[in-house]
Amino acid sequence: MTSTRSMLMTGNLAAAWGARLGRADYIPAYPITPQTEIIETIAKWVRTGEIDAKLVQMESEHSMLTAAGAASLAGARVFTATSSQGLLYALEMLYNIAGWRAPMVLVNVARALAAPITLEPDHNDILAARDSGFLQFHAETCQEVLDLILLAYRVAEDSSVLLPAIVNLDGFYLSFTREKVDLPSEEDAAAFLPDYKPVNPFSASNPVSKGATVLNGALYSYFKYHMHASSLRARDVFEKASAEFERMFGRSYSPVETFMADDAEIVLVISNSFSTIGKQAVKRLRNRGIQAGLIKLRMLRPFPSSLVARYLSGRRGVAVFDQNISLGFGGIIYSEVLTSLYHRRNRPQLILPVIGGLGGKQITIEEMERIFEATKNELGSESPEPLFLMRSEELERTMNLVKTAKEVHS
Amino acid sequence: MIIRVRFHGRGGQGAKTASRILGTSCFIEGLNVQDSPVYGAERRGAPVTAFTRISDEQILERGYVFDPDLIVVMDPTLLDSPAARVTDGIRKKGVIFLNSPSVTHITKQNIASDFRLVNFDLTNAAMEMLGKPIISSASAAAAARLIGMVKESSLEQAIETELEEIGLSEETIEKNVLLGRKVFSSLEPVELMTEESSRELKIAPLELILEGNGLEDITAAGNSSVSRTGSWRIFKPVVDYEKCTACTVCYAYCPESALTLRQDGKPVIDYDNCKGCLICYRECPPKAITLEREVVAF
Ligand code: SF4
Ligand code: SF4
Repeated sequence: MTSTRSMLMTGNLAAAWGARLGRADYIPAYPITPQTEIIETIAKWVRTGEIDAKLVQMESEHSMLTAAGAASLAGARVFTATSSQGLLYALEMLYNIAGWRAPMVLVNVARALAAPITLEPDHNDILAARDSGFLQFHAETCQEVLDLILLAYRVAEDSSVLLPAIVNLDGFYLSFTREKVDLPSEEDAAAFLPDYKPVNPFSASNPVSKGATVLNGALYSYFKYHMHASSLRARDVFEKASAEFERMFGRSYSPVETFMADDAEIVLVISNSFSTIGKQAVKRLRNRGIQAGLIKLRMLRPFPSSLVARYLSGRRGVAVFDQNISLGFGGIIYSEVLTSLYHRRNRPQLILPVIGGLGGKQITIEEMERIFEATKNELGSESPEPLFLMRSEELERTMNLVKTAKEVHS
Repeated sequence: MIIRVRFHGRGGQGAKTASRILGTSCFIEGLNVQDSPVYGAERRGAPVTAFTRISDEQILERGYVFDPDLIVVMDPTLLDSPAARVTDGIRKKGVIFLNSPSVTHITKQNIASDFRLVNFDLTNAAMEMLGKPIISSASAAAAARLIGMVKESSLEQAIETELEEIGLSEETIEKNVLLGRKVFSSLEPVELMTEESSRELKIAPLELILEGNGLEDITAAGNSSVSRTGSWRIFKPVVDYEKCTACTVCYAYCPESALTLRQDGKPVIDYDNCKGCLICYRECPPKAITLEREVVAF
């Protein structure tokens, strides 16, 4: 084991440390709550000379991502961060950057999308980028934020992958929450993450065409199939890199984490910061003799289908907690979990869709426990009713606000 | 063992920093810590809540503290704000600390039966020591003392670390350390043997949620015209009409349009909506606006 120091850190500070220990040398930036603290921290380090990087404030997220992708192709290790509307504004460029095969790392601080406007998180922003070709890693703790950024660079830059990556952390629940983070030393981080060696980089004296116009469906398909295959390869690359990470730093990261799941009859599938509350629910249910378990999706792209199938096959019931909603369908992760299991002979009897935490709606431990109860109650049902979480007192307060609104308007 | 502390203050009072100072002081004591604030768009005077969780085990909790062992009420006028829900969920035998010279602000009705009240006038102490009603270190000191797991030296170190972090001058930090020390030594630890109050979970069925039509134009009372921002004030600006020269500078500067002009061009303050930012007080050329400490809510 190597030298580390421990600090209390917000998720945003941990993200900035990820960029610092990852030795990012170009950081295009544009502010948006709740991400801004990341860029402010890096800007401070650039000013004090603690890091040797170039930080440029752009005029929008779209320009920011354009600059990021281009710099990555030119050979810079690129870091940037955004959130919510900013990510959507840049979305067009995400597809380009992936097609350019530029292995930059983008941090998204999840924040629900407008309208109505809010600052707190759900995952409709990050999942809007789901099909772009960016690899996606989702963090539960501030420690994971830092570690996943280092891992993301390792995987993205691997010659068999060469795709950009997003690391997601939840606004407020991680971005502004401080907890203990073990900080690897700069030497150890450098040993884990060697310098970035771009493939056929361009420069002023060496023009190269990237992502050119093809005007040909077969050629277009050729490139897309390769991107798909590269994305799928990223899972193995991630597992190898995380095995090395564990040897060096003692923390182990599988694409799917299991929690008390070995002998569980009812398993909750969840991702991101609310997983912590899910784990507490599992512990409390275990104390009451209920065989509950949890699996946490850490890697969303590539989707770890075979691991999901391995951990969920043979269970009686599964609940999928989606902190997002595809309006007119339901939870996005739900359909991916279902797809992973359909052809398994011993697939679970029931897979319950749960929608919760939209716009950062607080989730109590009791609500998490209720998910397990609801799953149990629905066992055997042919068309399980999706569970939409809202506590009665929350609805009561909501209706009071609505009433006030009506009074004001009439 | 886990202890959950919830701070209730107003933007500018230092609730977030208080939760961090408490967090850092417990971290220095070798405990596991998690601290976080919640707030809407950042504005001076708006209710701010912050949390510190302290444990000797891994903390498997996150986000809002629904069932605090200790509630630190940094501004007692928040007790009367239904939106702030200050005393919600307190555990049996939990402790409510009031920044107040007395505890008459709070009745024991409607709150879990056997909580305990402690009070100290932090604002007064801060005014004496810092000349400003900023009570981040004072509130952290009160909480640190009450939970009884923090040495005075750890608290002092935490105050220094956190205030350095936000870029305060050495002199201000030194004064805050003195303020923290004063509060710390004025209180006694309380035994926090709290019990979970049983919370019954009722999930609202979707049919009930869909009874509204979802087309209402305003969905947050905080932004609506019925919200009285006057309750945010810590100090109240008062016009001295003898001194006022009717220059209208205050009228031009008030960000809330809470000032209107009388026939003679002198300002009238709408105390229902004046949020107490004190820009008028600072800008008035002949210093015709004075301040009064706000003691009651409305
Ligand atoms: S303190 Fe003065 S400037 Fe501020 S809201 Fe009140 S009247 Fe307006
Ligand atoms: S700024 Fe002062 S002097 Fe001028 S109108 Fe306002 S209160 Fe009167």
